Amino acid sequence: MITNLNPPAVEVTLCNQLGYERIAMECSASFAKIFGCPADRIEDLKTVVAEAALNAMEHGNQGRANAKVTIFMDFKDDIINVAVIDEGNGIREFPPKPDITRIIDNIDPPNGFGLFLIKQLTDQVEFARRTDGGHVVKMGIKISRTD
Amino acid sequence: MQYTNEIKLEQHGPVTLLDIQGDITGFSEPFLNEAYKNADNQGASNILLKTERDIYINSGGIAVLIQILAQTKQNNQLIGITGISDHFKKIFSMVGITRFAKIYDTVDEALEKMT
Repeated sequence: MITNLNPPAVEVTLCNQLGYERIAMECSASFAKIFGCPADRIEDLKTVVAEAALNAMEHGNQGRANAKVTIFMDFKDDIINVAVIDEGNGIREFPPKPDITRIIDNIDPPNGFGLFLIKQLTDQVEFARRTDGGHVVKMGIKISRTD
Repeated sequence: MQYTNEIKLEQHGPVTLLDIQGDITGFSEPFLNEAYKNADNQGASNILLKTERDIYINSGGIAVLIQILAQTKQNNQLIGITGISDHFKKIFSMVGITRFAKIYDTVDEALEKMT
């Protein structure tokens, strides 16, 4: 998927199998450790990579068994950059921020947590259609963030 | 691919402890629902969910947990959670779970405060 893979970049390609997001998650943790990322930020990274990969499998690729999810990771200027690419057309409408009170009272469905966590735990996030097909979620995590 | 949870029910005075083995994801829904129903059928008033410390909880698992919280609210039951890592304490606070379930550091602390 990615034309150039120059050090320190890493690319992982997954079949569209729920549960395989754990592979991407563990790869991202190994990648972050190489650059001295603190443990709390590694946990944040694992969560956002897993959620973006899950969204790619379920919504982007719509569960198609023959589709792929590609995760590209790079590190520059204290930021771990992750791109999660699927074969879909992107998000047509972003779900509202989940309101747990309305969910518990059965007013709202219990969804939207994945995107919510991605937005909360990353320092930058961008959703885009790819010119050569598919959709990408680009996320940046500063390894020195302390909040 | 199949993911399962083994959930043991233990009674500690007025507290029914659901000891959850395994990751909590969307696949956990039938296992958690069955365990909750068993606890509810046994007349549980105070429910403590105990997880292993290093588990994976994803957005699907968060939704499943929130559905359990909704049932405990409907049934006027007190609910607590213990065993989760500092990361998931932060996540649970972000999504609002901590407004409906108290998080305890240890089982002993939970049993003491929920009794």
